[in-house]
Amino acid sequence: MKKETIVAIIMGLLLGGVVAFFLVTKTSEKELENSKAIAPTTTLNQEKAAVVTGYQTLEMSQPHDEEIVDKESISIAGKAEKDSLIVIQSPIKEVILNISNNSFQTDFPLALGENTIKIVAYPHNQLLRSQEKELRVYYLKNEL
Amino acid sequence: MNKLLLYCYIVILLLTTAFVVNGQTETVVPTATSSVTLPVAEQKDIKILKEKVANKVSELRKENNKAISGRIFETETGFFKIKTQKQEEYLVKLDDALTKYYRISGNQAKEVKKEDINKNDYIIINGVVHDKTVDANSIFIDEEYLVNSGKISQVNKDSYSLKVTTSSKEEFNLDIETSTKQMILNIKTLEIETTGFSKFKEGDTVHFVVKKTGETNKDNHYSVIKILIIPQEYFIK
Repeated sequence: MKKETIVAIIMGLLLGGVVAFFLVTKTSEKELENSKAIAPTTTLNQEKAAVVTGYQTLEMSQPHDEEIVDKESISIAGKAEKDSLIVIQSPIKEVILNISNNSFQTDFPLALGENTIKIVAYPHNQLLRSQEKELRVYYLKNEL
Repeated sequence: MNKLLLYCYIVILLLTTAFVVNGQTETVVPTATSSVTLPVAEQKDIKILKEKVANKVSELRKENNKAISGRIFETETGFFKIKTQKQEEYLVKLDDALTKYYRISGNQAKEVKKEDINKNDYIIINGVVHDKTVDANSIFIDEEYLVNSGKISQVNKDSYSLKVTTSSKEEFNLDIETSTKQMILNIKTLEIETTGFSKFKEGDTVHFVVKKTGETNKDNHYSVIKILIIPQEYFIK
């Protein structure tokens, strides 16, 4: 085979490669544009944001998780959405509170050792989801 | 870190004070016969200083003390390895002179020996935690409870069991035993009342407590200790 023929073949292959790369890049860009159009519209997102804002999430002010105490009961306090039903449960006690404002506080007994306490807030507004927190409080006597 | 430095500083201060005091008793005494005592005022000052240092050390130790709980998966001479409920692993260092061991039973903690603690036991460690290591001051053998809630997806009246799905989509198979404390929320009075198995309905929310053992439990199958029903009617009203 002549030298010129080999050079021509190589040049042809290179050119073909460049064209193929260009086509693949352009096609993927077009596909990406199409998929973008499927995403939810901005109005929908704004509506969702409007629902979420102004909503009091469940926050615990006391006790702190993994707190060590030296007494048989503690005060459980926190904030939640107004008119929520608050269920507080541990292996030894359950308390139900129906809060008229957005804060709650109750005394809660402890067992010696580990106390796993689950707090769940069920908002009165059906559009809002329930929220929960789990706390571990250790009642360990000081002399031990 | 600052607290640790302060703690070290206080310990060094205490040691140097002791040496200085010893040094003074030896050098100040001019006579060879009598053992010299410090003036009463100085002795008082030293006593007060020692008390202050001791109090500060105990205060700092108390501040750094934390509690961690988990199940033992490895026991060796001088340490345990535990896994917490969050699946975090901790190395628990034991001190023959310092670490004390207790078993919690009801509202009592009875002192036990180190040999009474075995693999698979659920323990609470009270000590100084740094990273994933705990220097244990005291160890308590306790029971592990799981407190959770979810919606009833299935009620099996033949086997007295429930299938419950939690908010994190975890599924539990719960057996209601004769010993299970069954409660229901009165949606009018919002009081908790005792109830029976017939009141469980698909769609109701339940809050339950189960005891966990060290054995593997693939399908989350537990006997329920207590369960509280929040009827779905509460959410509809």
